[in-house]
Amino acid sequence: MTATQPAPSNRRTSRRTEILDSRPVNLDGFVEEWPEKGLVAMESDFDPRPSVRVEDGRIVELDGRARAEFDFMDTFIADHAIDVATTEASMAIPSDEIARMLIDPGVSRRDVLAVTRGLTPAKILDVVKLMNVVEIMQGMQKMRARRTPANQGHSTSARDNPIQVAADAAEGALRGFAELETTLGVVRYAPLVAIALQVGAQVGRGGVLTQCALEEATELELGMRGITAYAETISIYGTESVFVDGDDTPWSKAFLASAYASRGIKMRFTSGTGSEVQMGNAEGKSMLYLEIRCILMAKGAGVQGLQNGSISCIGVPGAMPGGIRAVAAENLVASMVDLECASGNDQSFSHSAMRRTARLMPQLLPGTDFVCSGYSGVPNADNMFAGSNFDTDDYDDWNTFQRDLQVDGGLRHVREDVILQVREKAARALQALFEYLDLPPITDAEVEAAVYANSSNDYPLRDVLADLKGAQSVMDRGVTGLDLVKGLEATGFTDVAENLLTVLRQRVSGDLLQTSAILTPAFVPLSAINDANDYAGPGTGYRLQGERWEELKKLRHVTSATNPETEVS
Amino acid sequence: MDTRLVVGVDVGNSTTEACLARVGPDGAVTYLGTALKHTTGVKGTPENADGAVAAVREVLARAGATVGELHTVLLNEATPVISGLAMETITETIITESTMIGHNPATPGGEGLGVGVTVPIGELLGDGRDSERPVIVVVPHGWDFDDVAATLNSAVRDGVDVVAAVLAGDDAVLVTNRLEKRIPVVDEVAAVEKVPVGMLAAVEVAPPGRTIRTLSNSYGLATVFALDPAQTRQVSPVARALTGNRSAVVIRTPTGDVTDRLIPAGVLELRGAGKTLRVEVDAGADAIMDTLARAQPVDDVHGEPGTHVGGMLAQVRDTMTDVTGQPASEIAIHDVLAVDTIVPAEVRGGLAGEVALEHAVALAAMVSTDRSRMQAVADQVAAELGSSAGVGGVEGAMAVRGALTTPGVDRPVAVIDLGGGSTDAALLSASGETTAVHVAGAGELVTKLIASELALDDREVAENVKRYPLGKVESFYHLRHEDGTVEFVDEPLPPHVFARVVVMTPDGLVPVPTRHTLDAVRRVRREAKRRVFCVNAVRALRQVAPQGNLRALDFVVLLGGSALDFEIPDMIADALAPHGIVCGTGNIHGSEGPRNAVASGLVDAYAEEPG
Amino acid sequence: MATPATERTVSLRETGPAERGSRPDEVVIALSPAFAGEFTKTIVDLPHAEVLRQLLAGIEEQGVTARVVRVRDTADLAAISHLGAKLSGSGIAVGVLSRGTAMIHQKDLPRLSNLELFPQSPLLDAEVFRKIGSNAARYAKGESPEPVPTRNDQMARPRWQAKAALLHLKEFDCIEADRGPVEVKPVFELSHA
Repeated sequence: MTATQPAPSNRRTSRRTEILDSRPVNLDGFVEEWPEKGLVAMESDFDPRPSVRVEDGRIVELDGRARAEFDFMDTFIADHAIDVATTEASMAIPSDEIARMLIDPGVSRRDVLAVTRGLTPAKILDVVKLMNVVEIMQGMQKMRARRTPANQGHSTSARDNPIQVAADAAEGALRGFAELETTLGVVRYAPLVAIALQVGAQVGRGGVLTQCALEEATELELGMRGITAYAETISIYGTESVFVDGDDTPWSKAFLASAYASRGIKMRFTSGTGSEVQMGNAEGKSMLYLEIRCILMAKGAGVQGLQNGSISCIGVPGAMPGGIRAVAAENLVASMVDLECASGNDQSFSHSAMRRTARLMPQLLPGTDFVCSGYSGVPNADNMFAGSNFDTDDYDDWNTFQRDLQVDGGLRHVREDVILQVREKAARALQALFEYLDLPPITDAEVEAAVYANSSNDYPLRDVLADLKGAQSVMDRGVTGLDLVKGLEATGFTDVAENLLTVLRQRVSGDLLQTSAILTPAFVPLSAINDANDYAGPGTGYRLQGERWEELKKLRHVTSATNPETEVS
Repeated sequence: MDTRLVVGVDVGNSTTEACLARVGPDGAVTYLGTALKHTTGVKGTPENADGAVAAVREVLARAGATVGELHTVLLNEATPVISGLAMETITETIITESTMIGHNPATPGGEGLGVGVTVPIGELLGDGRDSERPVIVVVPHGWDFDDVAATLNSAVRDGVDVVAAVLAGDDAVLVTNRLEKRIPVVDEVAAVEKVPVGMLAAVEVAPPGRTIRTLSNSYGLATVFALDPAQTRQVSPVARALTGNRSAVVIRTPTGDVTDRLIPAGVLELRGAGKTLRVEVDAGADAIMDTLARAQPVDDVHGEPGTHVGGMLAQVRDTMTDVTGQPASEIAIHDVLAVDTIVPAEVRGGLAGEVALEHAVALAAMVSTDRSRMQAVADQVAAELGSSAGVGGVEGAMAVRGALTTPGVDRPVAVIDLGGGSTDAALLSASGETTAVHVAGAGELVTKLIASELALDDREVAENVKRYPLGKVESFYHLRHEDGTVEFVDEPLPPHVFARVVVMTPDGLVPVPTRHTLDAVRRVRREAKRRVFCVNAVRALRQVAPQGNLRALDFVVLLGGSALDFEIPDMIADALAPHGIVCGTGNIHGSEGPRNAVASGLVDAYAEEPG
Repeated sequence: MATPATERTVSLRETGPAERGSRPDEVVIALSPAFAGEFTKTIVDLPHAEVLRQLLAGIEEQGVTARVVRVRDTADLAAISHLGAKLSGSGIAVGVLSRGTAMIHQKDLPRLSNLELFPQSPLLDAEVFRKIGSNAARYAKGESPEPVPTRNDQMARPRWQAKAALLHLKEFDCIEADRGPVEVKPVFELSHA
């Protein structure tokens, strides 16, 4: 860090102050609120008061603004996100009553949804403002769409090395990620890295879904070709001015969403608190109010889910009083309007390991559809999303949290021999597939490196020029997911080919378009339809027990009760 | 014999080409189409079968024919050579005792010559200093330019005779602009702390656009430092090293020196024609090539163990071992091409990261391999297609037959195939006999020469420089091509090419990261091509020409990927013109350009003598 | 780069409306509304005096002249830099925000493009500003400088993201709409700390 320290004063300081001052948390940045400009997490006098008025089946007033004064966000939300039939009744319910419904195990998720679908952004804000962080977690436990929580991982490489991406994806899939995401340093590498991610994922655990974050057109093309399985990085914003700066509107984003749906491809939008004020266009509204507008915009566009939890702007709410509570609240809001929620925890957040952990608790403890979106399945130095809140160094800590608190964060401990085996298989499968597709060769030395590597520094350097030509040829030749299946089959990786083919077949059935859909190891889509969250108080809903709990009891070093001179793992 | 459908397949290093033809009972050939696929696996290995089968299927599909109708597939016997590359610098410049600084900073300050004793700026205002003698001030890192100027001004006001300054930072213009007395200032001397203190030194800065006159002249140095003839002889390398610089510093130390020494690169041992000839590598490329010519045909080449050339050839053999699986001891090098080149290298003992242009020798070497397994490829192709398949002929012989289909060509005809690793030539004599040779050195060596002479770290850039013409982006709306013509564009050019020398690739403009001008880059590119392709074209043709006489050749046809290059065919034609040869790029069947010569040659050979 | 015991301050004296320059050997430095006014240092406490002095030094060392302009009606870096480029006789300008974020622009480029962008304000020190000035001058001379190396730091987000947003908002508050750019003369003074 090249940051300058605060100017030293001449006054003598205590030894204790010196120690405290040198703690990592004091490398983080904290700022005062400035609500007039929107630099405030969720409690601002400048946010609008809730109101709604319906005339002739049309919302003519939204949160104190008449239709004539609507900006395009208001228009989109009023016309597409709010249920006109029920809105006046829902809005008439006092906010504290709705807040209580959210935490009351006696009120079903379905009953809550009947109310929330008629709420305006300001009303939703008014409701969650009443809730402390424990109540927010209780609400999340009930409102999460899918009953079974899950996790998402990142698999990237600082050198865009496809072998590394494949090996780390395989390990990540084996450790439990239900979705894997990659992105690039050099964008032209994308086709090779996306292929590597897909192959690695299907080696690690059949049915894991993959995506490659790129500019929108290429991301869509890779999806349509079946090289990736879903999409997530379609960003939306809470003010008209930020949307316009990005040459976009809610309608253009909705159009893109329907392009994915037309091919049976799972997709979700991305938004988060702090993005508008970060760009200087918060229009004087609190971060959470603007995020609630995003959430309703996503709802109105008809997408099944949203990645939120501040995401790449986490440093902004993170520096504000109550900021992490607001981040927990935005996750809850996504869930309480029946969207899948991939709940952040996916960016470098703090210099302090304790603070990183504390920031995770509101998502880990109640469980969300994806606790991280995602967890870095590579060392943070290799993370091309600019680092995540957790990385490979933290795998054992994460597994220990799960065991200590008996909560399911979607991961598990896996023995090293098993890990080495899938890493090798992933590298071998990619080696064979590259040869089949006439792509630049992967040497045995690279495969060997992939088995034992930690970071991109542990791999032989690739011939980048040849790789980029190969990547271009993948696009030029029109290589599709089916070509990958054929290649894997032809080179003897029949099981991997079948895994991938089964994932691709979901395009036809469209089951992955359902809210919160993931695939089980048996390729059964698990979504809010067939795995609906039925939490109704103690003893109900998702419980970490049985085989899965036995699995999570395992750690790297656990002393055997049978023979205390040995360890089990 | 009835009418038969046959496919000729040419497996090359990177592409596999197919040619489909109908051969009539009378041996008349009707060409039906061609196809091009990526080669699968290393050329000459059974993995080639996949690419060959794919090419056959495609050419059949294009002509609307089925595998069932196919009579036979004819494969080429691959050129039995593999090539490797190595490069070593053979000179080295060393400065001892920090005798001189000659790194040519972009912006020195002031002008003129200052001769005095070196004094650190920190001691300039101290007590006990000797204010009588002229002083050259040495300024370490961390001094702000305003502070330096203020200190020098105040020293001068105190009566110190400051005549020049040497700075660590890039501050020379800033400092001289603030001085009351104009002095020459040399800056960006990274290791300024190594400048010896209390020594007599001279600093010279020439006006913009000029070069220094005194310190680059041996007698100038003798005058400045009052040297006797013996000492003058000793400092003459310093003067030479500073020639062409705009600024320089020379420090007189008791035994300081600048040497330009030859690195003992070792001896190259050439065995052939029953002789073993030895040549010192540092004698240069010409000497090596002369010696090589005396040992033709070469059986093997060795480098003296423990020397640079020993290492170079060991490196080549290692690569061959990786590719062929043959043990290094069984690998015989049958040809080498040595090329003199210049490599910018940091000077040892330099204080400012001085770079000297050192001499280097690049060696391309070529190995014969007996491991071509084309018959195995043919067997596999036959099995997959259910038709017959065989090896129809040797590559060079087939290429020259194919070349004969180029309009305007007649026997005797020679072909030159400019590849990546080797340059191949073959001759079809008037009586129908063919001779084929392979010589070391081709496209990859050109790329390497371009990369090292321009100090490009990125092979992709060097490859682009080799392949495409250059331009210079002069504004966002116009660029100047290397031939001097100017092109205007409607949309502004992208910022990353602004003011840069660029390569005009089909994918757009790619900047060349270099301080060299467009002309310099162009010169390096053309020289590299001339030294490899033109030299090798002549060398290879001499080996196939009757009695080595180029005048005995009438037609020379260029084939292969390099024949599509924008300037190589012209350069080779120019090189061959004095020998009265018609030389040009092939046009197989009058339609295929320089491609598909081997594949159609296979068909023609079959038509003459159906197997 | 300053020797330890001294610190320089700068005051900007307005000399009149900024005009379009005619000298082909000039680079314009375009300052944001609050630079060396409402604010005195960058996000990492580098004094604005030093930022400006190093930019000017980088330009002067290349033998190119500099003009300093204050833009008052926008705090958008691309707009400030592009306006500066249009006023510059060479067509080259350096734009700089109070928090330190900087950009080299050229008049013929679209406003949202640039020649070099330095978005990570916490990583810009005096040495980088010197190089930015130097590169701008070299573009003005028609040379092809290597872009100033940009650094990256994943942990800049937790430390600086919110402060950057705050400084951005504060700078926006200093915008004086409908007031055109003014030419300013920087006057540096030495103060002993």
